Amino acid sequence: MLTVKNLYKSYQVGKNRFDVLCGVDLAVRKGEFVAVMGPSGSGKTTLLNCISCYTPADSGSILLDGVELARLKEDELAEVRNRKLGFVFQDFLLLDGLSVRENILLPAILSGNINSTAEARADQLCDVFGISAIRDKYPAEISGGEKQRTAVARALINHPLLVLADEPTGNLDSKSARAVIGTFEQARQALGATIFMVTHDSYAASHCDRVVILQDGRVRRTLEKGGMERGAFQDALLDVIREMGKE
Amino acid sequence: MNSFTSVWARLRSRGRSRYALLAGCCFFSTLLITAYAFMMRAPTILEVLPEGGDSRKQMDMIFVLAVLGCGVFTAYAAGLFLRQRSRETGVFLALGASRAQVQSLLLPELCMLGLASCGAGAVLGAPLAFGLWQLFRVFVVDSSEMLLRFDFKSLVWPLAFALYTVLMLLWLGRRSVRKASIMEVVRQSHTAEPVRAVPRRYGWQGILLTVAGCLCGYLVPTICVRWLHWYAPSFFTAPFYLPALAGLYMMLLHTVANGWGRKTLWHRDILSVSMMRFEGRQTVRNMLVMTVLIGGACFAGFYAPMLGTGSMMSYDARPVDFAFHYRADQDMPQKDEVLALAGEYGVEVTRWAEAPMARLGVDGEHQVETEGPLGTTWEAVYSELDSSALFLPESGWNALTGESVDIAPGQAAAVLDASGSSQGRFDPSIGLVTNTATGESRPVSAAAPLRHDMLFGYFVLDDGDWAAMTAGLPGAWREEMVFFDVAESGDEYAFAKALFNEIVDRSGPEVALHSSWDPVVRQRCIEEEGSYFLDRESLLANGETAIDYSLRDSSEFRLFWQYMPQFRVLDKVDFVRTLAVFLILFIFICIVCFAAAAVIGFVRSLTIALENRRVYEDLRHLGASRGWMRRSARSQVRRVFTVPAAAGIGLIYIFYGMIMFFNDGRLSAGELAGLGSCLLLIAVVAAALWGVYRLAVRGVFRVLEL
Repeated sequence: MLTVKNLYKSYQVGKNRFDVLCGVDLAVRKGEFVAVMGPSGSGKTTLLNCISCYTPADSGSILLDGVELARLKEDELAEVRNRKLGFVFQDFLLLDGLSVRENILLPAILSGNINSTAEARADQLCDVFGISAIRDKYPAEISGGEKQRTAVARALINHPLLVLADEPTGNLDSKSARAVIGTFEQARQALGATIFMVTHDSYAASHCDRVVILQDGRVRRTLEKGGMERGAFQDALLDVIREMGKE
Repeated sequence: MNSFTSVWARLRSRGRSRYALLAGCCFFSTLLITAYAFMMRAPTILEVLPEGGDSRKQMDMIFVLAVLGCGVFTAYAAGLFLRQRSRETGVFLALGASRAQVQSLLLPELCMLGLASCGAGAVLGAPLAFGLWQLFRVFVVDSSEMLLRFDFKSLVWPLAFALYTVLMLLWLGRRSVRKASIMEVVRQSHTAEPVRAVPRRYGWQGILLTVAGCLCGYLVPTICVRWLHWYAPSFFTAPFYLPALAGLYMMLLHTVANGWGRKTLWHRDILSVSMMRFEGRQTVRNMLVMTVLIGGACFAGFYAPMLGTGSMMSYDARPVDFAFHYRADQDMPQKDEVLALAGEYGVEVTRWAEAPMARLGVDGEHQVETEGPLGTTWEAVYSELDSSALFLPESGWNALTGESVDIAPGQAAAVLDASGSSQGRFDPSIGLVTNTATGESRPVSAAAPLRHDMLFGYFVLDDGDWAAMTAGLPGAWREEMVFFDVAESGDEYAFAKALFNEIVDRSGPEVALHSSWDPVVRQRCIEEEGSYFLDRESLLANGETAIDYSLRDSSEFRLFWQYMPQFRVLDKVDFVRTLAVFLILFIFICIVCFAAAAVIGFVRSLTIALENRRVYEDLRHLGASRGWMRRSARSQVRRVFTVPAAAGIGLIYIFYGMIMFFNDGRLSAGELAGLGSCLLLIAVVAAALWGVYRLAVRGVFRVLEL
């Protein structure tokens, strides 16, 4: 589904050059729920932005469903973002002037694929994520958790190959965070979604099949959940993070 | 809602206030420019303001500044609108919309908004100008000259501005979509607008540059004319004012970034200062536009008090109540007729004096102009018979003034004004006088100059010399000067008006002459060029107005008729009527510029509040008291108003003083009194600005929920 090979990215600030990604390799299979963790400055968000086509990498390759993203033109990249990727942002990025249902339908509207099927899917997503009651409300009238569930539904409206989530629980209280992670699990189980999530939250990451740990722009460890219980997996993640902190 | 277009329409409907703000700014700017352009190009105004005259230049200069100000203001409003929309654009792009898709909706919308708002401004501008003018006519002053006629060719200005607005909106809109960064939207990051480290020296360097710019801009044209003998074109001289604009920008930058005060209580204003720095460039640009507009408003507004105070003082300072002169070949009312007329109005004439005068040729230099690719150059050419002047015998002088002056034979005494100045209007040192009828010339040397406001510009000769030099002159070259005073009794104004009408009625067409009309200069011009520019036919052929007895109450007639009587009561009472068009035009400009500055200041204040709402929310969470936040918000709004007001008013006041000084190298009592009365106008402007400031503060408190 997604293959990242030998990815390098640096930023130039004045005369100083900062290497953020230094040869990252990873792959996400269809239907997988993968998290990327790491300390601040490890390159998690930059990695996500490169995969999202928001910023180009210096070298290396990103293959999405076998297509090399670096070779695509601006309009083709927009189409990839619209049809093959779904996005969930830390700050939700819902449009205040549109209702919950309209926000969910927005990617379909942008692609020109708005029809009764899309509207039915929007209603289905509202049902799945428990936001049917608020579907005609505006973002200013709903809670943070409801906003993020709306954002997850929006990310799934166009049947994307991959949902990219950037700190989706970062702005939420623990109850709302649990509800949002629940929506991801539902999305995977009920809708077969593939999810790639950047997070600081070990609780959120413990729901994933696999957690990639980045440090200083490199993949430091990859932990597979396997048959582990969620709590045990979270403990294992915390142990690794603690170990990294001692080094 | 099933298309991107309908999503866009929904967002537009939900964000009406943003659209209204941008449309309002475009509308207001075009309205202002249209009203000004219609007024500026109205035949009513053009006929009164002489081509190339200072008043016309001032009006044009303020118009250019107002257009520049409006241009910057609309660009600012467009930038603000697009910044507010950048989040939506970023979300669309993040969710897979292409930039072309966003542009295809944004650009037509901007185009329509620009056309509609500018169109409305252009349509309503003329009625606004007309309405304001009519209000002046009803409530301030009215005269037959004030019938306002419009030239619809003036629409070219608002149309050009509308074109600029639409193109600017399209360009900025396109650029905003092209440059929209998904990353910034996704990461919720701000694009800061910092004022890059501003050295403290910017403060005094700005002041120096501003002063230098004002001096250079004003003096360079004079230097070009006097020293280089070159009437430099405006495109060469106007840029010399630019350092003043740069200096003003530096001063405002320093004010925003560093402040002028000492830093001991820096913590008190830490929030407002840091916010102003964050908003730096936009704030300084807005302040610059406001400064220019307030300066323009004051420049125009000072016209009325300067002219009014100076004129009233000069009327009061006149040594006689009634003075008139007439050509000897005219059948004018004599003493008994005047006394009889005065009797009809119950006016008692207390003193009567009259004296003969004669027009003699004098030597001197005149300018011979040559048109070149870089404008007109001139050289001074001396002629023994260069122009003419009026000469009094010493006995006539003594009779009129009550003095006992004795001029030595062979000498001529020039008459300066009461303060001893020639006002740069004539050369007091003549060396040769000529009887134009006989051709006889006689050298003269300069006697000690005399002083008299009513006989300013004349010369006085020894009685014997005068008789010898004027022998054989025909009536057209001889004149009579009459002075008389009246007691404070009867209807003095009605008498003055009746006598004025009598004088005009009895004047023949041969004396319907412009005040600068000179028979000697005329002769030379006709010999050299075939025509004389002050002859009635030439004036009319050039589209200018000539002296017309039927328009005896017009400003053109009262200001420029060569034989215009000087009756104190008539001049004082009719002052506002005579100069109505000038006064009202400049009051109009003042109001329009001031209104523009007030609107910009108000909008800017609200913008600061809207953009910093989140900061105040955070401060509230940090425990800031309502009073503290109010003080901080008020401090920012205060800067938006006080800095441009102080800079605009102060600079123009100094500049006006400079103009008065360089006119004749001194500040006369009338000019000083005029500058004093301008202080009253400043107080009115300051009070009005304070009112707008209070409104803006209230609006800001409402936005910030303080």
